[in-house]
Amino acid sequence: MDSLKEDLKKQIIEQLNLEDLTVADIADDALLFNDQGLGLDSIDALELIVLLEKYHGIQLTNPEEGKEAFKSVDTMAAYIRKRKAA
Amino acid sequence: MNKPALYLSAASTISHQPTFQNPGFSAALAQVEASSALISPDYKTYIDAGLLRRMSKILRMSVACARDCIEQAGADQPDAIVVGTGLGCLQDTEKFLNTSLTVEGLLPPTSFIQSTHNTMAGQISLSLGNHGYNMTHTQNTLSFEHALLDAAMLLREGDRNVLVGAADEHIDILNDIAEKLGFETASPLTSGASFFILSSESAGNAAAELTDVYTSGGAEYGQEEIDAFLDRNGMQIGDIDLVLYAGTPVSGAVRNIDYLSLAGVYPTASAFALHYAVDLLATNSEVRNVLICNTLRKSNLGLTLLKAVEA
Repeated sequence: MDSLKEDLKKQIIEQLNLEDLTVADIADDALLFNDQGLGLDSIDALELIVLLEKYHGIQLTNPEEGKEAFKSVDTMAAYIRKRKAA
Repeated sequence: MNKPALYLSAASTISHQPTFQNPGFSAALAQVEASSALISPDYKTYIDAGLLRRMSKILRMSVACARDCIEQAGADQPDAIVVGTGLGCLQDTEKFLNTSLTVEGLLPPTSFIQSTHNTMAGQISLSLGNHGYNMTHTQNTLSFEHALLDAAMLLREGDRNVLVGAADEHIDILNDIAEKLGFETASPLTSGASFFILSSESAGNAAAELTDVYTSGGAEYGQEEIDAFLDRNGMQIGDIDLVLYAGTPVSGAVRNIDYLSLAGVYPTASAFALHYAVDLLATNSEVRNVLICNTLRKSNLGLTLLKAVEA
């Protein structure tokens, strides 16, 4: 299993207090801000920005980038890898 | 001038005692122990999971009690939501301040957003989908009495049902602060939330009648203030079947009970006393008039007068 995605799921659960979820409940491609996925909201988006800086040292300042990066755990992992490689 | 009667048509309390959804609890209360813990219901029954995950103790207590009151009263929406709190959302305040001291860079927004005193009233309105008047009063130990006064004025201006209540939460650092300040209490520091539906009309389900509320602050109160309050309601201290007090017992009263020994100590414990009085008035035919005398802080006097609803 991709350890970055695994770590991201743990961090999302902790940062957003998703008390009823486990890592196994979050699919890599589940849409984070869709009711069919995790059903997150705008406050959660702010928490995800904090998460990126806190755990991965990445500052996300362009809202358009955030829209793409926060689609799913897959896209978050890809965004982190892209920023670290730059 | 005679003021129109106001009725308490629902009451709900979460505390260190078995008060929640337990009519008649007043008959079985024992002194609250330092080792006691908050008795919480299953919050998922009352609060949407999406909102619940972000809520601290004080928010969970407040929203659950508010929803319980709405169910009891059978009212779709209250005309207004009025909340009193002495110290506000301490868990989130502590979390935000600790994070700001230890974390460099961005701070998580949730604890900051929810650290303000008016978060309870706001979360209740979000949970109910209520767009009416929404107010929070914070006046130290008289916060709840001020909320009651506000609710009473709204009802006398035409509102029919007002959701009014109070909450305060205990966090561990309060014990350290109390020790350092030499603030000694006979009862432990606790958490509690009590909410009520106050109505301008009795729909046959009212448990008690709220006769009058009075507050004064700034100087140590005198017995003459209590006498004057009773006098303006056509009563004397001998007419009161029971006084629930915090601080000093009321001299001349037939029976005094220290409500802090039951609720524990928190700034809005007088809201617990109100529910205790409502429960007694509804279940004990020997108690017809109750005075709540709140002098938890010596320079603040809060008086609340209740009577049984006559059949």
